[in-house]
Amino acid sequence: MSTRRPPLPLRLAVHGAVYAAAATMLVPFAWMVLTSLKADQEAAQAPSLANLLPAHPQWSNFAEAVRAADLQQYYMNSVIVALVTTILAVAHNALAGYAFAKMRFAGKRILFGLTLATMLLPLQCFFIFAYLICRSLGFVDNLQAMIVPFLASGFGIFYMRQAISTVPDALLEAGRIDGMTDLDLFWVIARPIAWPAITALAIFSFMNSWNGFFWPLIVVDSLEKKTLPLAVAALASGMYVQSWPVTMAAATILILPLIVIFFLTQRAFVRGIALTGVKE
Amino acid sequence: MIDRRSTTAYSFLAFPLAILVIFTLAPTVLGLGLSLFQWDGHGAPSFVGLSNFSTLVRDPRFWPALRNTVVFGVVSVPPAVVLAFLFAVAVHARWFRGKAIIRTLFFMPTIISVVAIGFVWRWLLDDQAGLLNWALGLIGVTHPPNWLQDGYWPFFWIIVIAIWQKIGFCLVLYLAALAGINETLYEAAEVDGASRFEVLRHITWPQAAPMTAFLTVTGMISAFMIFDLVYVVTGSGAAMQENNHTNVLNLYIYRQFTYGQLGLASAIGVVIFVLTGAATGTQLALFRRRDTAGSGA
Repeated sequence: MSTRRPPLPLRLAVHGAVYAAAATMLVPFAWMVLTSLKADQEAAQAPSLANLLPAHPQWSNFAEAVRAADLQQYYMNSVIVALVTTILAVAHNALAGYAFAKMRFAGKRILFGLTLATMLLPLQCFFIFAYLICRSLGFVDNLQAMIVPFLASGFGIFYMRQAISTVPDALLEAGRIDGMTDLDLFWVIARPIAWPAITALAIFSFMNSWNGFFWPLIVVDSLEKKTLPLAVAALASGMYVQSWPVTMAAATILILPLIVIFFLTQRAFVRGIALTGVKE
Repeated sequence: MIDRRSTTAYSFLAFPLAILVIFTLAPTVLGLGLSLFQWDGHGAPSFVGLSNFSTLVRDPRFWPALRNTVVFGVVSVPPAVVLAFLFAVAVHARWFRGKAIIRTLFFMPTIISVVAIGFVWRWLLDDQAGLLNWALGLIGVTHPPNWLQDGYWPFFWIIVIAIWQKIGFCLVLYLAALAGINETLYEAAEVDGASRFEVLRHITWPQAAPMTAFLTVTGMISAFMIFDLVYVVTGSGAAMQENNHTNVLNLYIYRQFTYGQLGLASAIGVVIFVLTGAATGTQLALFRRRDTAGSGA
């Protein structure tokens, strides 16, 4: 980057513009949390400087959101789906990535080409057979429908292959001479070296699973198998209550885990997105 | 020895590849085929040739949905990419204060569920108690349209929200790209007495061009498949109502799917597939041009 410092007015103007834009990123979520703590009639008033903050924080809105839409059940569903998907998907993608990066076998090029090809296929426009296949496997209306199809991804395998490619062959060769199996080599040698990429993929998988909306909407019909985004969408569309504060409380509950994970693992998170920039 | 290792490799690959074949590859191939059939998901599909497509082009709902989808991609992606580039250049500068907090704030919409984003924006745009109308009132705009009801205003806001949401993701990737630009290029430009704008125009922007191409094309691909944001911002229940002002192809597929019109839904899938294929083809062509030009990363 240029070593020259621009004159002070320009520096101030640039900071002003960037900070103003950054503020627009925060305002909606701040308003969400503020609204979630207001009484109904307080939130329904036209905003003014006097009533921007809740007069008496209504923590009961959160209890009401949980009660009205049975959120604890959907919370559990989402936690199960996201955790199981993340752990199993990362394990499978990493092993497949290891095989493509460090093992020799017949048909490797074709199989890797097939893996890459799946990255280009927009599943969202051909979800119908994915749905029908899930239905014939008995997954529809079960949590499996939101887990099993995501236990491997072309992108995840590709990303793991890239990361594991950086593991020195000499290390693996030494381990092999010591009689280690490939599973040992993966676990003892490749896994620690590829760990930053593995955690990045894990965070990324968790985020996608937690925020998934379209696919759960397709494969879940019955109430008790919904995930949190579906439940919050139903609540917010006025199915259970007509209250903006309760809706905003539910939305806050929905985003809280990812916000917490984001602040705890920010470096890995951002690096993960920077490296995994192929998908969102 | 080799054989035992091959067996191990296949055992590592068997399950992941089976998942890819069963849930991605097969549905795509079968979906392309299904666009030539009429089927409600039960019993035997009947072959109807291209009639799903002729039904489609004569359907008055199809063209607005196609137009909205293309407009959404073309109008939302480039502004997000360009704004992200400008912000990234500012944040990347040595003299910029508070890089970490800025990156964090910009990144928030990327990690947050579209459901939450959609509803908080519905609330911001609310007719009675919305924060936006209050802010507009402060600057003297007293009778704004009903943002969530009137004509194309909901679609306008969907585009604004999409831009707003996308900037942070692009910003983070641009920061990675800017960090990779060779310092000596800037030093040479300074020796040559280039102005700040000239450096931006002739060094930073061209050097970041591969990232720009990547973000634009992948952005287009996901934009052509837009669903969640429209579904939520128009109010989940309204998704089942036909509204040419906000309809997009994926919403149209979703409705045909729920009506059991699987062949017709697949035909719309083919249309999206062609759109995303065009975007992917453009990307490959751009990368190939870059490779043959030999300009490196």
